[in-house]
Amino acid sequence: MSLMEVRNLEMTYSDEDVATPVLRGLTFKITKGEFVTIMGPSGSGKSTLLHILGLLERQSGGEYFFEDKQTGEYSEDEVARLRNKKLGFVFQSFNLLPRTTVLENVKLPLLYSGIKEEMWNSMARKAIDAVGLSHRLDFEPSQLSGGEKQRVAIARALVNNPEVIFADEPTGNLDSKSGEIVMEIIQKLHNEMGHTVILITHESYTAEYAERIIRLRDGLVESDTKVLNRRTGKLFQK
Amino acid sequence: MSLYHAIKISLAGLKTNKMRSALTILGIVIGVTAIIMVVSLGQGAKDLILGQIQGIGARTIGIIPGRQPKGPTDVLATLTASLKERDLVALGRKENVPHAADIMPIVFGSETAYYEGETYRPTIFGGTELMADIYDAYPERGRNITADDVRGSADVVVLGQTVVDKLSPDHDLFGERIKIKGRNFLVIGILPKKGGASFINFDEMALMPYTTAQNYIFGIKHFNRIAMRADSEANVSSTVEDVKTTLRELHGITDPDKDDFGVETQADALKTVGTILNTLTVFLAMVAAISLVVGGVGIMNIMLVSVTDRTREIGLRKALGATNKNILTQFLLEAIILTGVGGIVGILLGAGLSFAISLVISNVFGLAWNFTFPIGAAFLGIIISTIVGLIFGLYPARKAAAKSPIEALRYE
Ligand SMILES: Nc1ncnc2c1ncn2[C@@H]1O[C@H](COP(=O)(O)OP(=O)(O)OP(=O)(O)O)[C@@H](O)[C@H]1O
Ligand SMILES: [Mg+2]
Repeated sequence: MSLMEVRNLEMTYSDEDVATPVLRGLTFKITKGEFVTIMGPSGSGKSTLLHILGLLERQSGGEYFFEDKQTGEYSEDEVARLRNKKLGFVFQSFNLLPRTTVLENVKLPLLYSGIKEEMWNSMARKAIDAVGLSHRLDFEPSQLSGGEKQRVAIARALVNNPEVIFADEPTGNLDSKSGEIVMEIIQKLHNEMGHTVILITHESYTAEYAERIIRLRDGLVESDTKVLNRRTGKLFQK
Repeated sequence: MSLYHAIKISLAGLKTNKMRSALTILGIVIGVTAIIMVVSLGQGAKDLILGQIQGIGARTIGIIPGRQPKGPTDVLATLTASLKERDLVALGRKENVPHAADIMPIVFGSETAYYEGETYRPTIFGGTELMADIYDAYPERGRNITADDVRGSADVVVLGQTVVDKLSPDHDLFGERIKIKGRNFLVIGILPKKGGASFINFDEMALMPYTTAQNYIFGIKHFNRIAMRADSEANVSSTVEDVKTTLRELHGITDPDKDDFGVETQADALKTVGTILNTLTVFLAMVAAISLVVGGVGIMNIMLVSVTDRTREIGLRKALGATNKNILTQFLLEAIILTGVGGIVGILLGAGLSFAISLVISNVFGLAWNFTFPIGAAFLGIIISTIVGLIFGLYPARKAAAKSPIEALRYE
């Protein structure tokens, strides 16, 4: 059983008279628990693909099945609920709420979850603990380093225990040291907590954490390969 | 999501932008403050003016000759000579009007007065010895008109301050003789200056016995008015009825619509003045309410800026699972909370300023001015400002809710 499956997926942005084809027919499956890296040159449609897989945007052609259900059949509210419960996002530019503490930022998805408020604090603390930031609970984003901000964003993506975690160049704004720490955490989410991870990256050192690499070029799958010599992250084990 | 959480989210949103939030509500604060002040000060002014009118006597009844106009377009109503000596006699009988305490005929009109080359045209006001008591017009010097003066059509006058000043700017008129209609009148009294604040301005009057005015000044046999006082406030309305019955019988009138006289009471006058002042207050409050709409437009303006500024936040919330309704509720609640708080601040500010003004008026100007807190207007102010928030917050909130998560996240 596949978690996500795309068949002939197309995405064309149409602005009045210009039509920009970005994805031109992608077909692949991702099974539960996989760690997939999407690579490719700038403008090849990586982010666009991630947004469609993450139900932030709808494709213009082809089919996308999430848990074997055609996503076109979901209503706006159902899509919102899926994003809340099953999908977690980590963006290149952190996207934390300013002037809001780490704890409150991590709690954000819980506000829309229907989970009882008594649970929120313990769930958020657990997620913050998983990224090693328990000592920064009451800090605001402006008081954190880039790497710490991204770890808060990961904790936020994690807090509702989603099926899939999407990360769009999570290390793109970080130096290599902070980047490796972030990657260690993402790997831990996959290895120890069993989350499916879909990661976009430019850097080959980050790609080495994945089990599978999908390369895009000009809106098409250029290659889809299993990684043999996976990096296990011994270097930064706690 | 419960309303409680929705409010919490909105409050958090407002808190992260304290300065902007404060500036946003300024328009609403000013609008509600204005409403509260207009209504509170309007009430104070009404109480003051009604209090002064009431001072003239709530027991007073006025009987006017002629058919009374039925409305503003009834121009056929005319002054006639329908009130004469026999009416006075009939109304003075205990068996006709048992609760009448006093009765006084009044004759008035303008006539030129002369004194040593100066002239002035005062209002001649002819009455009886009761005049001083009924109208609180006691001379500050000299004496009042007496019953003997009335019986004998004496050539005596009591003058108001303006008359004195015009006829004799530099020397005392008291005890002098002035000329009206070729007759010499002895100035037996001078009234204190009352100014324009009082209901009837005695400063421009020359008071004399009504008999003198009838016989020597105007050459008439009728009265222009009969003033009457009931023995108590409670008996005013029954006295009015007795007066009407007596006069109808005397004048042979069966149909009340054909009355050739009218009866006014203090209560009527109070009602009229009260209505005028209420209308004025409502009108001014409505003008102030318009400023609330302006405040609402300000809120919409700033909410729209806020929605654009927070495009990324909106996208993020949607990416994390917020539904369109969640976002709509958040921004709508922000607008309503803003206007609600603006309303409350406006009420407090308006009440505070009105209170301060009432202190100034009563202490500095010495007027009997009372501060009243307009509960109705306060209530209305809160409701209107909340509605303004709802109406003007709706458009920005819908705009926020309609943003697609990815467009919002890609927004630079
Ligand atoms: N809303 C849009 N309207 C028109 N074109 C768009 C829109 N969004 C993205 N594109 C175009 O789609 C193409 C792919 O964009 P995308 O962000 O998916 O690239 P990417 O592979 O993630 O690149 P990068 O590595 O630089 O992040 C780009 O050429 C971009 O201009
Ligand atoms: Mg990209």
